Amino acid sequence: MFDSVLDVEKQLSAQDYICDQKISTVVFLAEKLEKPVLVEGPAGVGKTELAKVVAAATGRRMIRLQCYEGLDEAKALYEWEYSKQLLYTQILKEKFSEAMAGSTTLSEAAERVGKEDSVFFSEQFIVPRPLLSAITSEDATLLLIDEVDKSDPEFEAFLLEVLSDFQVTIPELGTISSRTKPLVFLTSNNAREMSDALKRRCLHLYIDFPSQELEQRILETKVPGVEQRLAADLVEMMAKLRRLDLKKVPSISETLDWARALLALNAKELDAEFVGQTLNVILKYEGDVRKAQGELSQLLEKKAAKAHATAESVTEVPEAKAVKKGALH
Amino acid sequence: MQQKILEFTNILRKSGIRVSTAETIDAFKALDELSIEDRGVFRDALCATMVKRGEEVATFQQLFDLFWSGFYDSLREQFEEAGAGLAEMGVDLDELLKQIAEMLQDMDGEVGDLSDLARAMLLGDLNQLEQMIRAAAEASGVQNIENFLQVGFFSRRTLEQMGVEGASDELRDLAAALEEAGMDPDQVAALRRLIEGLTEAARKGIRNYTERELQQQNHDYMEKFRRETLLEKSFYHLSEDETRKMREVVERLAQRIKNILSIRRRRLKRGKLDLHQTLRRNMSHGGIPFELIFKQRKKDRPKLVILCDVSSSVANVSRFMLQFVYSLQDAFTKIRSYVFVAELGDVTELFREGDISQSIEKALDGGGVINVYTRSNFGYAFHHFWQNHLSVIDNKTTVLILGDARNNYNDPRAWCLRDIHNKAKNVVWLNPESPSAWGFGDSVMNRYLPYTDVAEECRNLKQLSSIIDRLVL
Ligand SMILES: Nc1ncnc2c1ncn2[C@@H]1O[C@H](COP(=O)(O)OP(=O)(O)OP(=O)(O)O)[C@@H](O)[C@H]1O
Ligand SMILES: [Mg+2]
Repeated sequence: MFDSVLDVEKQLSAQDYICDQKISTVVFLAEKLEKPVLVEGPAGVGKTELAKVVAAATGRRMIRLQCYEGLDEAKALYEWEYSKQLLYTQILKEKFSEAMAGSTTLSEAAERVGKEDSVFFSEQFIVPRPLLSAITSEDATLLLIDEVDKSDPEFEAFLLEVLSDFQVTIPELGTISSRTKPLVFLTSNNAREMSDALKRRCLHLYIDFPSQELEQRILETKVPGVEQRLAADLVEMMAKLRRLDLKKVPSISETLDWARALLALNAKELDAEFVGQTLNVILKYEGDVRKAQGELSQLLEKKAAKAHATAESVTEVPEAKAVKKGALH
Repeated sequence: MQQKILEFTNILRKSGIRVSTAETIDAFKALDELSIEDRGVFRDALCATMVKRGEEVATFQQLFDLFWSGFYDSLREQFEEAGAGLAEMGVDLDELLKQIAEMLQDMDGEVGDLSDLARAMLLGDLNQLEQMIRAAAEASGVQNIENFLQVGFFSRRTLEQMGVEGASDELRDLAAALEEAGMDPDQVAALRRLIEGLTEAARKGIRNYTERELQQQNHDYMEKFRRETLLEKSFYHLSEDETRKMREVVERLAQRIKNILSIRRRRLKRGKLDLHQTLRRNMSHGGIPFELIFKQRKKDRPKLVILCDVSSSVANVSRFMLQFVYSLQDAFTKIRSYVFVAELGDVTELFREGDISQSIEKALDGGGVINVYTRSNFGYAFHHFWQNHLSVIDNKTTVLILGDARNNYNDPRAWCLRDIHNKAKNVVWLNPESPSAWGFGDSVMNRYLPYTDVAEECRNLKQLSSIIDRLVL
């Protein structure tokens, strides 16, 4: 349990997750109000990661349901284990014959088998999928329903039922309710807008690309070797890039990758050469790279000029200046 | 507080943010768990519980600032100012109030005898004052304010409704009574000055409130205006800003259609039982078919050939139509695009490399293949297509033509379109002009009409989206 909004921020940062007040407020409320959170935002801003670190910080076991087109109840909730049932039928063949012994008609035989079939539809033959695992779990869990926008609307309707009372009915077994209410995070990239009904049940958290200041803190936490000035330059570039009209906008993971690449190349600061060598780490399309190159080289030139100017003013003694001037003329 | 939140909920609703009662209750519950002293946390809690769409967050933000920050603070400022004058006179406000209370007691009375408003003013009870101003403003119908000229009117009405003058008179009488009872003249002077200050502060507070209300109403109005009219606004008159916003709207509409398509496609998927696959899949079950496999049914996706007039008169319609079509690329098996003014050029390749909006701008500029600075000649363009590209059309092709059919009195060569029509599945013509103008002046639309299956006016987003809807669904 978190004590306060501030406490959330602290505990998540202990898990190397840097968040702003908006995120921590919503996480705090989610736990207090026992409400699911729908996290939306562009790719790679840390939606999935947020669920993971909240699980770690609260000591909950994380159960993940990855959504995709075509995901259905069987894959999300439970399935009967056909092959095991089949196997048991084979093994118990003789028992069946015994049970059927003495029956004279086919329907009588079927009736007798029918009486026994509950044997095959018991918990033993159920394969629990994430939703059922979360409901039946003994210990506290965090249920992550990842990329829910990729699932079909029909599945969303089903999800709605489960989320509203955390119990499921298995016709052969009856109703199972949750023992401990899981904390639920749903993430979405907005490939499809979720229904109002689902949204009403959830707290909403929109995570956008972080501010430069925040991204720099993330960078320094996640890539410890990176120097402060390099980090500052990197996030400034990223902010620039994100304003361009790119086909795929680079996210936080790309910032981290880029920083790691630069570290590997032993770069102390960003210059045109390094940027040229590594731009393909963060941009996946040829067209994007071309667009970015123009923009970034401008920025780098400006930076270089500035750095030069300050370097001069610091190191140059008046005499040297005079010499230089003389040399110029 | 609850009252205020309900009021805020109403304002959100008026601006098009759908907040349900359940969500308002969530907001209450959330606020119970938090210290609402922190504005930021307070705002984030309201946002998380009441606003569920990313694109509505900005609107929420603005309204929040307008509604929550500010009024109380500005009220406090004004009342502080009223009290500040006293310090100059060497009188301490708290001392003065204590003295008044003591004297009243001797006179067998108390501050509590004053009317609510007079007491709130004298004691600087801002919470009470704020509520009274809100109530009075509402009673005088300030929510109907429409323009700046009405600020004075509604302020006066609120002032009367609240009875500020009466309260001030009450306080003036009090000062007189205290003077009579022997209060120190300096203090009486200070009190009088305070009373005038307070009256002025209340007046300003009310005016301030009215102005804010106007801003809020304007905001609602502009939002609604923006939403509704962008859809109906003619492509002919768009500012740069509107063009940008329009692009977003097109994107959203396209997204909506995509969603519908994906659902439909799923529904269609289940075809006949696939015996072959079923047997193979169930080998491990000893050939007993536990899992059934169905054939996937295919729906024919249309092939699309676009002939797009890019002369300046229709450039904007072309822009959004191309954006629309290319946002929906997956809905078609194949798209070929041609642009023309008089010459006709194939710009299909332009769209191969990703970035739609850039490709569109290039295409509108002739795509490096045609000269756009000539006079429109539909006949010439169609003839050129007929000669060189007729083979791209087959009986699964929808031909989408966009143009105003203003042919500058050239030969329309309608027979070219006839042949196109004969080969294609259908021909759809979108014309930015209204049907009443077709065939008049240099419009040759009437000559082409017999060879189209659908011909419609398309002048704004609403019309465009309904046509595209029908095309793909
Ligand atoms: N606030 C943060 N603090 C620390 N690391 C972060 C933060 N935000 C993102 N990251 C890092 O960025 C990377 C991408 O995050 P994640 O995979 O959670 O993104 P996502 O929003 O789920 O993306 P997608 O929509 O593609 O699934 C992770 O490696 C994560 O560690
Ligand atoms: Mg993710």
